[in-house]
Amino acid sequence: MRRYGSAVLLLMVGGAVLRISLFSELYLRYVQAALRPYLVVSGGLLVLLGVVAAVRAMVHREHEEEAGEEEEGEHDHGHSHSHSGPRIAWLLTLPALALLLFPPPALGSYSASREEAQRAAQGVGTFSALPAGNPLDISVAQYSSRAIYDTGHSLKGRTLRMTGFVTHGSKGTWYVTRLMVTCCAADATISKVEIRGDESDGAPQTDSWVTVTGTWIPKGRLGTDSAWPPVLAATEVTQVKQPADPYDKR
Amino acid sequence: MRVQNERTVVDGLRLAVRAMVYAVLGGAALITIATVVSVLGPMLALDLYTPPVAAWWTVFTAVAVQGVPFLLLGTVVSAAIGAFVPERVFTKLLPRNQALAVPIAGAAGVVLPGCECASVPVASSLMRRGVAPAAALAFLLSAPAINPVVLVATSIAFPGQPKMVLGRLIASLATAVVMGWLWARFGREEWLRLPKRTQAAASSPTGVKAFVAGLQHDFLHAGGFLVLGAAAAATFNIAVPRSILDIFTGSSWLSLLLLALLAVVLCVCSEADAFVAASLSGFSPAAKLAFMVVGPMVDLKLIALQAGTFGRSFAFRFSSTTWLVAVTSSTLVGWWLL
Repeated sequence: MRRYGSAVLLLMVGGAVLRISLFSELYLRYVQAALRPYLVVSGGLLVLLGVVAAVRAMVHREHEEEAGEEEEGEHDHGHSHSHSGPRIAWLLTLPALALLLFPPPALGSYSASREEAQRAAQGVGTFSALPAGNPLDISVAQYSSRAIYDTGHSLKGRTLRMTGFVTHGSKGTWYVTRLMVTCCAADATISKVEIRGDESDGAPQTDSWVTVTGTWIPKGRLGTDSAWPPVLAATEVTQVKQPADPYDKR
Repeated sequence: MRVQNERTVVDGLRLAVRAMVYAVLGGAALITIATVVSVLGPMLALDLYTPPVAAWWTVFTAVAVQGVPFLLLGTVVSAAIGAFVPERVFTKLLPRNQALAVPIAGAAGVVLPGCECASVPVASSLMRRGVAPAAALAFLLSAPAINPVVLVATSIAFPGQPKMVLGRLIASLATAVVMGWLWARFGREEWLRLPKRTQAAASSPTGVKAFVAGLQHDFLHAGGFLVLGAAAAATFNIAVPRSILDIFTGSSWLSLLLLALLAVVLCVCSEADAFVAASLSGFSPAAKLAFMVVGPMVDLKLIALQAGTFGRSFAFRFSSTTWLVAVTSSTLVGWWLL
């Protein structure tokens, strides 16, 4: 095991990276989509390095057996470091095994509840016109920045559709929430939209994913705290499966 | 003679009894632990897998996954420098005079497009190839902060505020150069522990074999420290709610210091920190600048990486001084420019 330490570690890390980037779309739970090619390349490179390390360790072992016992002690002394790798490297098994065996879930309502929704740092102004479409698919982040900052009221009179997970506020209010990831999940920021409308069957369960169709309800003065969080009058709420990319695109 | 013989027998007996006691005690303990773990383990594992723990694992793996490609890029570059670039190239490129070499090395940070994980192995291999530590350290600090990818990301995060990009460039470069000069003047060789590493392992010190051996070793070594840093980052990410920040937005001085500290504990990658800074509404531009200047130069992940590469006594001295210099330079630049 000691002899093949480097090879095992490299194969494990490379395999874990390939498992989430090449063989599935799990990487989207942790990093942004644009990182995929880099992940695939580095996963492949690591596996290659691991194979090279294994072959070299095997060849080395044969040499040692031929050379006999006397030399082995000396050999080990000089070379053990390069084969077993530095000891701290064994920490790499933690994330690698986690990714291979139990990939951690995407961030959800827990993270959303801990961070007050952050409004994109932009001033009030006119936004570009929304594309055609009825209903129009829009991201939660896009909806809330238009609802709060757009002096052109581009949301007015449009039927809009958005997907996110459910979080609950006080007094029975509920929100469609989505986290946005710029580089990796450590920098997640949140946006949310309050859903009003048909209350007959109650609000959906926390953390379940829904697609909501509805229209904009203007609230408060633009660009102020009273305009936040934005509101949507829902005409239709359907439960959906968690999308492949659980985070909003910037 | 006889006394001695008796003594050895007694000693042997004592040893045997001790070994048996250990075996029985150890065995009993082992069986107990095994039983408890196998019975309680699954129950406990489910109980312990609460939302905060799940979020910790997600952030932890995310930081590690995100770091892997950049770390690999850094180690490929550093192994290539070690294996293929002869020493005389650097002695020709950089002026002999350290005071002059530092700003040139700092400005050369523009060419390494990556985040901070990549720059530590590269700086270490530069030192091994005979580059003056002061110059290599200036490069280490400036590379993740002023490369084009990061500057473009900053301009996207702060639309219509080109001064933010300029401020970041100037403040980061100034910090890197000042730190290089400080090291040239006050730094001591014995603080810096340069790894001797694979020289003995590789049969020839240059060429493809050395490249592969260096790559394997450097990646595994730095990767271990990356995991350590990721664990620290995830812990702070989960333990410190960002709503705490609202308390401090009142005072511009406190808020600057607070964001400079936040940059250390959050360990946001330098290509993303501009977006995080932009989303921290309610803070002064100078405070956001401090966040972006400190982040790529001092954070938990980097301290772990530096401690692994250059030794602990170096990492703590260097990181704390860099923090002070970075805060000072972003305060001055913020006051002058923003």
